[in-house]
Amino acid sequence: MTEPNRRDAQPTDAGPPWIRADGEAKATGQARYTADLAVAGLAHARLLLAGRAHARIVRLDTTRARAMPGVLAVLTQDDVPDRRYASYGLVADRTLFARDVVRFEGEVVAAVAALTPEAATAAVAAIDVEYEDLPPILDVEAALDAASALVHDDAAAYRHDPNIVSGGNLASRSTIVKGDATAALATAPIVVRERYVADMAHPVPIEPHSVTAEWSGDRVTIHSSTQVPFAARAGTADALDLPEHRIRIVVSHLGGGFGGKCDFHFEAHVAALARAARRPVRLVLSRREEFIAPDKVTHAMVVDLETGLASDGTILARKARLLLDCGAYASDTPAIGQVAAMMIAGPYRIPDLEIEALSVYTNRTPSGSVRAPSGPQACWAVEQHHDVIAARVGLDPVEFRWRNLVRDGDEGPTRQRHEGNGARETLELAVERALAGPPLGPDEAIGVASGWWFSMPGPSGAFVRIESDGSGRIVTGAQENGTGAVMALPILAAEELGMRPEDFAITYQDTDSGPYDGGSSGSQTTFNNGRAVVDAAREVRRQLLELAAQALEANIDDLVLADGAVAVTGSPDRRVTIAELASTAHSGALLLGRGSGSPPELPEHDSSSCVGRFGFEAFASPTFFCHAARVRVDRATGLVRVLKVVAATDVGRVVNAPGAVGQMTGGVVMALGNATLEGTVYGADGRQRNASLLDYKLLTSADAPEIEVHFVENPASNGGPRGAKGVGEPPIVPTAAAVGNAIAAATGARVRRLPMTPERVWRALTTGDDGAAEGNAPLGPRASTATPTGATVPAAPAGATSR
Amino acid sequence: MPELLQLTVNGLPLSAMIEPGRTLLRVLRDDLGRTGTKEGCDDSECGACMVLVDGRPVNSCSYLALQASGREITTVEGLASADALHPLQRAFLEGGGIQCGFCTPGMLISAAALIARDPDPSDEAIRDGLAGNLCRCTGYQPIVAAVRRAAAEMRGDPV
Repeated sequence: MTEPNRRDAQPTDAGPPWIRADGEAKATGQARYTADLAVAGLAHARLLLAGRAHARIVRLDTTRARAMPGVLAVLTQDDVPDRRYASYGLVADRTLFARDVVRFEGEVVAAVAALTPEAATAAVAAIDVEYEDLPPILDVEAALDAASALVHDDAAAYRHDPNIVSGGNLASRSTIVKGDATAALATAPIVVRERYVADMAHPVPIEPHSVTAEWSGDRVTIHSSTQVPFAARAGTADALDLPEHRIRIVVSHLGGGFGGKCDFHFEAHVAALARAARRPVRLVLSRREEFIAPDKVTHAMVVDLETGLASDGTILARKARLLLDCGAYASDTPAIGQVAAMMIAGPYRIPDLEIEALSVYTNRTPSGSVRAPSGPQACWAVEQHHDVIAARVGLDPVEFRWRNLVRDGDEGPTRQRHEGNGARETLELAVERALAGPPLGPDEAIGVASGWWFSMPGPSGAFVRIESDGSGRIVTGAQENGTGAVMALPILAAEELGMRPEDFAITYQDTDSGPYDGGSSGSQTTFNNGRAVVDAAREVRRQLLELAAQALEANIDDLVLADGAVAVTGSPDRRVTIAELASTAHSGALLLGRGSGSPPELPEHDSSSCVGRFGFEAFASPTFFCHAARVRVDRATGLVRVLKVVAATDVGRVVNAPGAVGQMTGGVVMALGNATLEGTVYGADGRQRNASLLDYKLLTSADAPEIEVHFVENPASNGGPRGAKGVGEPPIVPTAAAVGNAIAAATGARVRRLPMTPERVWRALTTGDDGAAEGNAPLGPRASTATPTGATVPAAPAGATSR
Repeated sequence: MPELLQLTVNGLPLSAMIEPGRTLLRVLRDDLGRTGTKEGCDDSECGACMVLVDGRPVNSCSYLALQASGREITTVEGLASADALHPLQRAFLEGGGIQCGFCTPGMLISAAALIARDPDPSDEAIRDGLAGNLCRCTGYQPIVAAVRRAAAEMRGDPV
């Protein structure tokens, strides 16, 4: 049921401005976020975090803390059910509080509830802990050595998903294999090998994590700043050994997430504190805690690439090995390794592939599903690699991509059939628009990068009902993290019911009222919950038409539902309004629909040669995109100024243009931060050195460039409503790669270390050191001054080689 | 020893007994119930806590409450009049300047201070004027456009 392609669909197509229903409350300060809620009798929680990367707990004594004035409860692992929990059922490697060993500096050792925040802080300081420090395991390559010490001595005993391939410090291994890459590379006329290394980065929502828990009998209500209320409920139920129906998770308003608030975090700690303190308890993380404690940061990655080419630039084969720094606990990283492998294949025609992704335990803050997890790093590596190999075969980077990007009907990495020509159309559009700007100045250049990202089919539910006065309500399990995806659901219900979006109110992000949804993760709200809302609205539509057929004494097939009324075709005076029908219904069968959106299957594919499969062995309804970045490089300082970014994206169908544009502009600027500024610096002691916004810089309004947004529409045959594909994550994926390519085009120096900070750019310019040889090892005690500035070009495999 | 703080918040004279070390942010939120002003970093880096003190924008997380004695404080709750949103609030709403909304209170306060001192700011002046307010959602572009539009409306120019 594909509709025709529309190229360069513009935001103005949407008509009058879309005003988000939660906007006025947010603009006036009325909107209550979790930390704003007034709660009578509230007590305050503080966490004792390990403060060291790897140590054995020799003694943990809370006696002094418990005796302090104003202290209501002090909890350790001895006070909660003795069980390990898993993120999304992957690896049950974690307890609420550290037991015997701490494995990263942000690990929770104990928690306090007290009458005031000051008393809680004092009590945390009075907890006596004696540690025996262990050497931190920080280098992913060294950690894979058979002789390496282990982050988890007892990993083999952990309950885990049957698809996980693991052992030692290897948390999970996934492969994407097609054909015989070894044989194809052996005969390829040209082979290019390179290494790229990316640092860890942070999601940095402006609202830190916050949780408030209050018990009423055997039920607990938890207000949490979570993106995934149902996953948070499942985690709390698992960790505290409670049935899910006794736990209610409510998100009042969420101050951004970007993946950092996916998964289950501190809900169970606070619920346990509230039970012990016998009063409501609130935890609000400090910004420093926000950096080190939640198990969601972007993966530090080491990417080794080897691509075989024909002399005309046709890609023949690729081998790649990716090391993802998983951090101290698996979180959802095992599944993300498979995503990373698919991203290294990309939307390119490559006959033979052998890509291996290894997720490795270290003593760092656990990684996880930050916005498009692994996508930006993988795309940054492989799309710079593509510019390098284009140059190697004497092709313009755009021409190289044009020849090799997938077209309608081409097969993907596991032989899924691609739909549409979005990959090439977005390239064409982004380049055309980027070249339309003023002529390039000195040390300026334009870089491009293409890519793809999956939509994420999943179960999701919604109810639609019509109230007695004819106004509508959507009751959904979906979560609004700020993108506007939930706020846009009325557009879909209104279309089905001949009503206006503003006729609907929305009840959302409360696990007691809405049916299950996967939360604001995986760009899935419109894709999955949108389908559920459409299904529910269609059920109400049938109910309305049946009532109208009786009221108008007409055949149901002759009725038209539009503009708030049902009319008989050809007899516009024979009509009855939805309000009149609703009034009738409220004396009998209610106008009430339900939908669960039946998630589409993955496209047909062959992943029989792949291991570590977690549902990403084919990409469902992939979004295609290309970004073009115009940059200027200051050769004296290495400072990269991004002047403009053109973002062209095939989102299937734009459902809410202002919302989609907002994802693009926001995603690009977040990506530019990741590209040029944002990277976590670790000391040799395994502690973060820049866990504050003073030292970990985001782009400001003064740094952010002009962003030009374009959409291409190739509706997905098995996609979301109207053929929509995921929108929230794609814009963060290709920008850093486009910037890297622009830096190289402007200066001739390629930076193979992310972020591409001024220091690294300057070093690449002046010494030829591309940064990749540093690996992901931490800084030495004085490494920043001890680094030789005259370092030679690193040994292979960095840099392009050929035979 | 607690001390008496007297100040005006959004036109309303208020008083509270507070410990001298407490910040204006904490007193506004915890003692005076004005939770529109947010805490994002407690480091003067994110700007979510920005309020006007006698018309001057300050990060209230790093401003002692007692420094505000006798002064007029404007928070995000004080921008709208009884019957209409402030032009900045309307422009943010209509122009996609609000996503998660957590930076919005500080962003609006900064923008109001900017327009008060420069009624016709260039885009560059707007970007510089808002550089103390971090936004992770919007990419700033819609916010800059909204401030430009609100400034024009406040000058009486056609928008």
